[in-house]
Amino acid sequence: MIPMVKLSHEDVLKLARLARLQLTDSEVTQFSGEISAILGYVEQLKSVDVDSLMPTSQVTGLTNVMRKDDMQNYGPTPADLLKNAPATKDGHIKVNRMLA
Amino acid sequence: MISAEIRKKYTVTIGIECHVQLKTKTKLFSAAGNDSREAAPNTHISHIDLGMPGALPVLNEAAVELGMKAAFALGTTPQKFSEFDRKHYFYPDLPTGYQITQFYHPIIIGGEVRIEVDGQEKIVKIHEAHLEADAGKSIHPPGKDYSLVDLNRAGTPLLEIVSEPDMHSAEEAKVYAKELYLRMRYAGVSEANMYYGNMRFDVNLSVSTNDVLGTRSETKNLNSFRSIERAIEFETERQIELFEKGEKVVQETRGWDDAKQRTFTQRSKEEAHDYRYMPDPDIPPLVLSDEMIEKVRSTMPALPGEVREKFMGLQLDSSSVDTLVEEMPAGRFVLTLLDSGCKTADVKRVANWLTSEVQALVANDKISWETAKLDVANFKQLAEMTSSNKVSSTGAKAILIDMVQIGGSPAEIAEAKNLLQVSDEDEINDIVKQVLAENPKAAEDVRNGEAKAIGFLVGQIMKASKGQANPSVAQDLIKKQLN
Repeated sequence: MIPMVKLSHEDVLKLARLARLQLTDSEVTQFSGEISAILGYVEQLKSVDVDSLMPTSQVTGLTNVMRKDDMQNYGPTPADLLKNAPATKDGHIKVNRMLA
Repeated sequence: MISAEIRKKYTVTIGIECHVQLKTKTKLFSAAGNDSREAAPNTHISHIDLGMPGALPVLNEAAVELGMKAAFALGTTPQKFSEFDRKHYFYPDLPTGYQITQFYHPIIIGGEVRIEVDGQEKIVKIHEAHLEADAGKSIHPPGKDYSLVDLNRAGTPLLEIVSEPDMHSAEEAKVYAKELYLRMRYAGVSEANMYYGNMRFDVNLSVSTNDVLGTRSETKNLNSFRSIERAIEFETERQIELFEKGEKVVQETRGWDDAKQRTFTQRSKEEAHDYRYMPDPDIPPLVLSDEMIEKVRSTMPALPGEVREKFMGLQLDSSSVDTLVEEMPAGRFVLTLLDSGCKTADVKRVANWLTSEVQALVANDKISWETAKLDVANFKQLAEMTSSNKVSSTGAKAILIDMVQIGGSPAEIAEAKNLLQVSDEDEINDIVKQVLAENPKAAEDVRNGEAKAIGFLVGQIMKASKGQANPSVAQDLIKKQLN
């Protein structure tokens, strides 16, 4: 039996704000259902006892992967990289006005 | 303004978070250049700093070494295990969408900094310190509907040092911040150039009338010792005023307006971010072996506390000690003289020259400490010439000023400037005879026990000898001739 978690419209709007997404009213309704179902699944997973286990964030077993403190030419020039910016001005990346 | 009486009822509690820019050639996770002080915007960037799909960040070993040095500088040992996490938030100067930091397992846990305030020693404990990547810089041209982003600073390695809330006044906080600044410079962790924003401070402050901590505000991005002091004074007043009016302090992030000398609301707790921290799967953990840790420990230079004690041993006044500790080239020079077996009295004399005459030249932009000609042999010679009366103390200062600006041996400068002092009694005796003959009235006054007259006669002898007679020898000879 999956315990029911119901996400409110406000919860969905907050998530959307954090993810910088604009949702229509029908999308809010749609995601409130879909995300609630995902959370329900997570609730189900939570019933497994993992107290004695460490969370996994690395699977390679590597440690201390480091490089020397020397400059390196990766290939793409700053100009190449700036081509990916939505807009530029005088070498700066131009974005929608932020609150100063 | 809050009266002193009301103020006394309140305890102020302060904790400080300090961001230190590490002295590396490249960024924390990319091999793009790290020194963008005078660089054009977006010229020190790579696909890694811009968070391009598939970019793989690789940790800079120099930043790790500086983090280890910082641990020793903060009176502790680096953690054997540390790890990097992603701190998520959206802002145009953070192209990856997350900052890489050490949230769960920082490289430094604990430590302490000793400070002295009003002659009282005090310990400020360190909670933790972690490595993290800086964000870019945004500018907001006035009157425009856009902002501009420069990512040169994105990815610059920082060490964030978080203190325990162990400070209780603006003065304590300022002294602590200054001590961190000195330690980071002495340990070679950072250039610690305040002008370029190499150190930035966030101040957490609350007031309370009992043992329970009050609600705190956090004033962010203070970049001078003075602004730390002023922001704390302002916040203390503001919070006490709220209490006195029966209102509540709101937990919030505040900024500092340097022009208006006041803090202002930036973000309240309700708007606080949910950072969704998670270990960064791109960056394998850092596991420091005993060998790596000992290697760094063995290269640690002397820290400000140790150096300060050596200067105190010279019986200098406290402001001279402060100058020598703060002006590292001057301090290093004094230590070199000490190590070279120079007599303590001579070292003390040199230390006083450096902290007064030479410091004045630096303050007036005549020279900088980096360009001043500080030569051990020359300074030793000048100190010896002064203590053996070959030059007067005034003459020595004139020689000193040439010596540090142009260089050259003090004996040659003294000769060229005619500053060698005559201490030879026969030579001075002739002048004394002449001056006494020319000033019979003053001579008579001296015979009658008038002390003032002897000063006048010494002055005449100095004039007649063009400043080269040793005044104390002259004085002795006047007395001898008149008795």
